[in-house]
Amino acid sequence: MGRHPVAAFGMFFAVFPFLMPYKSLASQVLIFGLFALGFNLLYGYTGLLSFGHAAYYGLGAYGTGIALAKLKLGSLWLGIAAGPLLAVLGGIAIGFFCLRRRGIYFAMLTLAFAQLLYFVAFHLSDVTGGDDGLRGIPQLPLNLFGWKIDLEGSLAFYYFTFVLVWLAVAGLKRILDSPFGTVLQAIRENGDRAAACGYDVRRVKHLSFVFSAFFAGLAGGLDALRLAVVPVESLYWVTSGQVVIMTLLGGAGTFFGPFVGAGTYLVLGDRLAVFTERWPLVIGLIFMAFVLFLPKGIWGTLIDRLPGGTSAGAKP
Amino acid sequence: MASISRRKFLGATGATAGAVAAHGLFPSVLRAQAEPLRIGCPLPLTGPFAALAADMQRGAQLAVDELNAKGGVMGRKVEVLFRDDELKPAVGAQRTKELIENQKCQFIVGGLAAHVQMAINEQTKKAKVLFISTSQSDEISAKPDTSPITFHEALNPTITSRVMGTWIAQNLGKKWWIIYADYAWGKQNNAVLQDTLKKQGGTLLGATPYPLGSAEFSAHLPKIQAAKPDVLVSVTPGADNIAYLKQARSFGMDKTMKLAQPLLWISYLKEGGPELYSDIYGSINWYWELQDTIPSAKKFVEASMKKFNMPPGDYGAYSYSGVLEVGRGVELAKSTDAEAVANALRKSPVYDHFKGKEWWRACDNKAMQDMWIVKGRGPGKTKGDWGLMDIVAKVAADEKYDRTCAEKGFV
Repeated sequence: MGRHPVAAFGMFFAVFPFLMPYKSLASQVLIFGLFALGFNLLYGYTGLLSFGHAAYYGLGAYGTGIALAKLKLGSLWLGIAAGPLLAVLGGIAIGFFCLRRRGIYFAMLTLAFAQLLYFVAFHLSDVTGGDDGLRGIPQLPLNLFGWKIDLEGSLAFYYFTFVLVWLAVAGLKRILDSPFGTVLQAIRENGDRAAACGYDVRRVKHLSFVFSAFFAGLAGGLDALRLAVVPVESLYWVTSGQVVIMTLLGGAGTFFGPFVGAGTYLVLGDRLAVFTERWPLVIGLIFMAFVLFLPKGIWGTLIDRLPGGTSAGAKP
Repeated sequence: MASISRRKFLGATGATAGAVAAHGLFPSVLRAQAEPLRIGCPLPLTGPFAALAADMQRGAQLAVDELNAKGGVMGRKVEVLFRDDELKPAVGAQRTKELIENQKCQFIVGGLAAHVQMAINEQTKKAKVLFISTSQSDEISAKPDTSPITFHEALNPTITSRVMGTWIAQNLGKKWWIIYADYAWGKQNNAVLQDTLKKQGGTLLGATPYPLGSAEFSAHLPKIQAAKPDVLVSVTPGADNIAYLKQARSFGMDKTMKLAQPLLWISYLKEGGPELYSDIYGSINWYWELQDTIPSAKKFVEASMKKFNMPPGDYGAYSYSGVLEVGRGVELAKSTDAEAVANALRKSPVYDHFKGKEWWRACDNKAMQDMWIVKGRGPGKTKGDWGLMDIVAKVAADEKYDRTCAEKGFV
């Protein structure tokens, strides 16, 4: 991954579906990898642990789902845009309240807001489908400079997802490499000192929160297209827990760690589920082993052991 | 590796390579004949509905055994692959994708919870795979959710609540209180029950929603007791049913009013025991004692006794029938193409696998079937481990119990 991580990412994921047992799993890894990457911006880089990140993933899924299934927007691009847009609005509002508190109070507030959204979606069944989930999301063809590309096939959908996720990854990398990204890490290391340097800590945190919501929302929107249904569980706290586990498993604070974690979690879960219903037990044990003995996660440990590599400075 | 000699290793590798090469050389048509017909079966194998799912797993397995004993379907062996949907729509959808894309399943039979089944249906529609749903649901056979390749083997809230509601009003009393689980299935039943009561000229004294999965009913019960209804109708699925009945009995409500519910499940009668279910009324799609009068039920019960040493339950019967219908459809169509099989089933819609004559209604692919009103046998009156219910009445299949084709969005 070295010096050109975004290019390396592109090369690897261009062939990725052929390494997977089936193509939809590859798309799922991309989508949850993006979700975890977005979460990591807030947790790994800014040092804010959100226990309610399902809120933005779910808002993204409902945004895209409602735009296409209920509002019948005839454009795939508008549908895709509606998801992250709704997630960003949610991030602005929820971040405004949650960032008034720190540490465990912050985490609990994010959780409370996410559960609030869950119950709203549960009861607004005319809009969200409630407990039955939002159904009837059409698979619109992709309109690109006059070309119409059918996304019905799982490989076509994978490459569509791949391009969007790749752009998002490049964008995220750009954010982290900018002065703003450095300030984030300064705040993570010592918020008071960053404030003393003249940075508006709360505003920077809020911006990070909103960016993070954007990436989670894009992931949610893509998943709504992939499954053609938005279950109300998208907003449930268990979904928030999953993204925390994925990120820690892969390595928080490293650029690709969350992606590696999401991939490991999903592929292992999918393969194990064929043999046993107790697959979460196996993943749980692996997770515990990493937290106890290799706290930098799979990716963090790996790049530590590579010549010249260190995860301390948030390398790729 | 130590115990395997070099020669043996080379031999095995060579044989494998040869087999792989030969596999590639055969024309694909010939290979397709030899490959088994695969049916995917997503069920909530873990979680609160695990007992029902296990019953469904046994039912599907019995059907596969039966088909294979007859030499398979069109000369092909039949396989059923089970996956745990964890009672979560996203997981159900993902497992269905895996079954279709990775395992090349040509048919999906299954689903138990309505919301998960709906997510499964979105995948089968997309992949153009025939789906026979075995979950109680109104939407699955109605527009816009349904499709020409979506079939529905189970009863639905409209049918059970209309039939049972009418029977309760005519036989147990016309002053009701309804208590129902506050989610899609519970709300649908409540709405149909209220409508049915109105048509029967009865009075609704009140309706109480409670959160699904709650074990605490005592806050609601005194109010209901004070209202003195003739019948307390409960829509309390799964483990809630047992918790609710325990508390209603401890309040002595079984003495002052009748207790009835749209649906009874033998798995929960077994779990709760005859004391708890004594004189509780409900309806059911099938009960193993029907073997005394129905030949296909007898065949089904005997197969189950032989393999599992227990009779099948009401939901196992659904998946048993669903898998057999896949076999029948493929034989009729002489093809595994979803549309061809669906057309064949609509063209000769009548079948009898476990309960007497059933048929697919042409407009919505909904199975029309007999049902029975049953009552829990009290302690001392049970027959063996599983003889837990008395059959009170039979309700013959009739399209009038379901919503009409027009009401379901078919014009």
